[in-house]
This record gives sequence, structure tokens and C-alpha cells, in this order.
Amino acid sequence: MRNSPPETPVSLIGDRLPGPDPGAPLVQLFESLRPDLLRFAHWLARDRATAEDIVQESLLRAWRSREALKDPSAARAWLLTIVRREHARLYERKRLELVPLDEITEMQAALRPAEADGELFALRHAIMRLPIEYREPLALQVLGGFSTEEISRELALSSTAVLTRLFRARNKLRAIYGLTPAPDAAPEGAA
Amino acid sequence: MNCDAARLLIGADPHATSPELEAHVRGCAACARFREQMRSLDAHIRRAMQDPPQLVRARRAAPPWRRWALAASVVFATLAVVGVWLLRPNDTLAHEVVQHVQAEPESWFAAQQLSTAEIDKALRGAGVQLDLTSTHILYAQSCFFRGHYVPHLVLQTADGPATVMILRHEQARARANFREAGLSGVIVPAAHGSIAVLTRGPANLDGIAGEVQHDMHWQP
Repeated sequence: MRNSPPETPVSLIGDRLPGPDPGAPLVQLFESLRPDLLRFAHWLARDRATAEDIVQESLLRAWRSREALKDPSAARAWLLTIVRREHARLYERKRLELVPLDEITEMQAALRPAEADGELFALRHAIMRLPIEYREPLALQVLGGFSTEEISRELALSSTAVLTRLFRARNKLRAIYGLTPAPDAAPEGAA
Repeated sequence: MNCDAARLLIGADPHATSPELEAHVRGCAACARFREQMRSLDAHIRRAMQDPPQLVRARRAAPPWRRWALAASVVFATLAVVGVWLLRPNDTLAHEVVQHVQAEPESWFAAQQLSTAEIDKALRGAGVQLDLTSTHILYAQSCFFRGHYVPHLVLQTADGPATVMILRHEQARARANFREAGLSGVIVPAAHGSIAVLTRGPANLDGIAGEVQHDMHWQP
């Protein structure tokens, strides 16, 4: 199922509300967070269209479970975890095709040939190349603002394992800037 | 805290801080430099992740098995078309014969005997010679039918005019009678292909077909 335009899921929720719209503030809140969710889903799924599907389904799930959101200030983190779980569910359900990134070219290269920061371009590509076990905690930390403890709870990993994955993720990216990867400081078998 | 533990914490979160970590970094120039580098890298990572790249799959050359599959598909499709063509039912043939005859209504009204040269001209293209003794040929044309030129004749018989089409390229597995659009007919297998005989009224179709076959000579 390909999704509608980006605004649709939340807009649809608003449209379905009967009479005076008691959920309007929540709908607006969801809507305002949509770009963040889409960005996060895109880094997980590595595909824009799949990311839009994930976000649409996540917003519908969130709306159905809106009673669980006691504090609107926690909405962003709450929605990000729903997106992450939806991605995992989709990944498991559809067994998404794994596309080696060597077979992928970056459209941005053609669209922005004059981009001054070639290192940034390379860095984006390198992040996309990271295995999901490294990319996921990195996205939770960088885009979601999750702490190590929160990530370990979300991913059901030990704190040490999360630290190791984050360390290894960044360590793999050092080479982009001409830095020698540091010796693996992770405890044996930590991740 | 040793260097390994410090670097694990710094690599996992370059902006993390704790009293133990700060104490270690103050006394370890290498770890301090490592933290500087990782903080700088982290700033780039945060900037990079604000804008996911649009990825498109590169076109790859088709694997060899795909070419074989394509070739097999073409062969299969060709065989299917040829098979359908060869196995199409004779009633379709009869229908097309009737349609052809209806398109040349003047053929029924020819009254004059044709010269041998005119008859030969109609027959030549089909590789056939006729040596008719008991009937007269009143109409002879070489007509384009189902991709080939075939002799289209009208013979004067005791029961009135009868149309004969010599269908060298149409295989008939068995004799088949048909009746359509006021015409009665029969298609009979011949030494090469088949022969269709049609009349507008009751007539001895098999007799006419037999007589034509008897007097017909197939050329290679």
C-alpha cells in the first residue's frame, strides 16, 4: 500500500472526528511532529516511500492509542518509539528486500552536483551504509534525543551493548574525515 | 577510569560527561584529543542526519539467466501462436470460405466457359492442374485467402453452379459439412491440403468434391 500525500494521515484523523473537534490540539501536535518522524523513519528504512508508509501507519496507531499519551510534551519520543516499532514490524512482516548500497546511486549527487561539502555527502552515504543495529541506536540518539538508558530500554539491550553500538557506529564514520578508527574499546561480546 | 572505558563513553556520546570521565580527560591528552575529534565528527553527523539522502537503485545488467528466460519466453510464445494457428478449428475455415464466396457474388452468375489459358492462370499459383471432363468451369480466379493465393472456381454441375476452392495450405483432418448464410458446403482432405465445395441449393457435394479430386493433379 503506497501512502497518500504526507499530510493525509493526520489530516484524515482530524476529518473523522465528530462534531466540535476535541482532538484538534493533538492532531496539530502530531502534524507538527510529522517531519521529524518521517526523517527518522527514512533513516531506518532507507527508502522515502517506505518511510511514508511507516509514518502513516504509526500515526494511525498513535491516534488509536492516544489515551496512553498522558503528557503531550512526551509526544515526540512516544511517536518515535511507535515509528521504530512499526518499522521493525514491517521489516519482519514483509521481510523487506535488503538492497546492498553498492547498487544504489544517490539522486542527490545528480541534483546537487555543486554541493560544496563533499564530506557531508559522503557522511550521509556512510551513515546509510551502517548496519541497522548501529544505525538504529544512532538515529534514536541523534534524531530522537534519547539517552543511552532510554535506548537500551527501547531496544531491550544492556547499557553496555548500546554504548558499544554507538561507539562502533561513530568509529566507522571517522574515516570520512581522515581520522584513524580508534581501537575497539568495547568489552568482549558487548554487542 | 582507563582509556578504553573513556573512549567507549566518548565514542558512544561525545557530549556525555561525568566526574570520572572529566578527571580522566584532564590527565590524558590522547583521550582529550579523541574527544575533540569525536565532538567535531558528531556535529557533522547531526548535520548530515537532518537531510536523508534520496536513494535510487542503479540499473544493473540483467543476469544471464534472465536473457535465457527471455529467449525461452519468445520461443514459447512463437510456438503457442503457431500452435493456435495450426490447430484452429475447421469451422473457422468454413466460415471464412463462406465469407470469401459471399464477397464475390458475381461468381455465381458467370455463364460462359473459360479458355484453358484463363483456367491455367487461376490454377498456376497454387501448383494445381485440372483435367475436368464432365463439368464446365464458368469462373476461375486466383484469390488471396489466409495468406496464400488459392484457386476459386465455379463449376457447372447437374445441380447448378458449385464453387470450388482448392486450399493447398489448409490441412483438414476429416471431412466436414457446413451450412451458413444460405450456402451448403463440405471441406474434404486432399493429397495436399483440402478442397472446399459450396452450393446454393441441394447438390451432391461429395460427388463434386470426388470428381474434382479425381481430375486434379498436384504439382510439387
